[in-house]
Amino acid sequence: MSRNKLNISIIIGLIILGTILFILNLFVGSVSIPFRDLFDVIFGDDGNSTVRTIVYEYRLPQAITALLAGAALSVAGLLMQTLFRNPLADPSMLGVSSGSSLGVAVTILLTGILGKSALSSFGLWSNIGVSLAAFLGATLVLMLILGFSSRVRNMTTLIIIGLMISYLSGSITDILKFFSMKEDIHAFVIWGMGTFSAVGPSKILFFSVCIIIGLFVSLFLCKNLNILLLGDLYAENLGLNVKRNNIIIILVSGYLTAIVTAYCGPIAFLGLAIPHLTRFIFRSSDHRTLIPATMLIGMIVSMFCNLVARMPGFEGNLPINAVTAFIGAPIVIWVIFKKNN
Amino acid sequence: MEVLKTKDLVVGYKDKAILPPINVSLNEGSMIALIGPNGAGKSTLFKTLTAHIKAVSGEIELFGKELHSYSAKEKATLIGLVLTERPDDMFLKVYDVVASGRCPYTNFFGKMRDEDETIIKDSLEIVGIEHLTERYFSALSDGERQKVMIAKTIAQNTPIIFMDEPTAFIDYPSKIELFNLMKRLCKEQNKTIVFSSHDLELLLRYTDDIWIVSKGKELISSSKDNLLDKGIIREYFNLKEDIKI
Repeated sequence: MSRNKLNISIIIGLIILGTILFILNLFVGSVSIPFRDLFDVIFGDDGNSTVRTIVYEYRLPQAITALLAGAALSVAGLLMQTLFRNPLADPSMLGVSSGSSLGVAVTILLTGILGKSALSSFGLWSNIGVSLAAFLGATLVLMLILGFSSRVRNMTTLIIIGLMISYLSGSITDILKFFSMKEDIHAFVIWGMGTFSAVGPSKILFFSVCIIIGLFVSLFLCKNLNILLLGDLYAENLGLNVKRNNIIIILVSGYLTAIVTAYCGPIAFLGLAIPHLTRFIFRSSDHRTLIPATMLIGMIVSMFCNLVARMPGFEGNLPINAVTAFIGAPIVIWVIFKKNN
Repeated sequence: MEVLKTKDLVVGYKDKAILPPINVSLNEGSMIALIGPNGAGKSTLFKTLTAHIKAVSGEIELFGKELHSYSAKEKATLIGLVLTERPDDMFLKVYDVVASGRCPYTNFFGKMRDEDETIIKDSLEIVGIEHLTERYFSALSDGERQKVMIAKTIAQNTPIIFMDEPTAFIDYPSKIELFNLMKRLCKEQNKTIVFSSHDLELLLRYTDDIWIVSKGKELISSSKDNLLDKGIIREYFNLKEDIKI
């Protein structure tokens, strides 16, 4: 079977798997819903009103959040890995997530300190405000890292710089926490554990539109990302404006990371593991395949993590970061192991 | 025909000159070797001539027009580049690398037309690596990778090609093969090739002209015979006897 045909069958398989996981995300949870009721609720029949509330108010927004956040973080990770030509680059490794966190901390905690009431209670404007702050934090860190990367050729050094930036922004966040009100700190800590359930029915539309725009834009970067794989000098020789292109990639990956981080908290490992998994499944480095495939696999793994976090029998949800790390870390080890063989 | 010419070109980094003004010209179809010790400024000269860094002063004329008056895309169709750096992505295929040579000509999404596919196929054939098309680049030998990068430059279809130490890191038979290939490109495809190398013995057999740079000294540009007759090369490399070719 030719590679192309094989890829198409893999994609079809993945779409089927994704659909099954999506339905399971609606189906499985602390309250078990009989399949008939779920069917009624989805396909018109009014059905049971409690079931309706659970599905439409909680599980559907959460499933959509998981699906879009997974796609967004994975694509952001892929963009960063290609930009820095480093398999360990991803939103959390390079300190981008913590940059967003700092932005969020500043808006939630500092407005609390200054204005005596946290911005978190202001509705839509606070949504935009928090997203914007997360975006500024993320892009600021990425710009810093890119600035360093033109001076430090060694990629390990760059990762260490990223980790140090994480600690730095973490420490500023801690200082802010020290001066903040208890309620704000509580809100911030909950947010920091990571969850797909915080978006909810009122904000899901705004969240979805933001993410879909970012994902759509990323599709237009394929050709330049492919050229970038050859290295900066070759890329420039082939007519690419490398500096401008780098800034565009940073803005798109920073934006995707920031939106997800603003709404779901800092979520680790998806951005790192999914692009590797995708490369190994499709055995390709062509971003015209990789970007859509990374989105698809990111959605699937993320929905799977959400499902695991919500397995019946648990009181409430497991922190999503515990699950993503549990699934993501072995994937990364496996990939590095394979690469060295 | 003169394809490239410099007028009092001073190269360096950040306004700091590293070589005296350079006045050289390149003729179509010629093969020129750039020799000199490491750190003398070969790479800086290459990066300046290929428009990656700005000259401190002076001019570079490409087909009679100032180099920087060309757009990035135009430059990409005039000057090709082969470097010692290698792409290291695991799943990058030979085809992908060679196909990237077409990107100055393809649309926004990099869609390959039939014409592009033909050129890619021809480029692979000219270099003699069509059997490697579907192989992963990272799994090739150094000599094979070098050929792939040259095939990329042929697909790029530029009249001028700059090669930074193309024969470094490869074994002797591959070096000869590579020099033969370069010579063939100059003769059959009318390419102008400028390359840096430390393989003095081999390059004296193949090249037309030689440029010599040495730290802070004026660049010497001369035909190989002239250089040998006058003993410049002997003096340059501190050899006791003349080289016999």
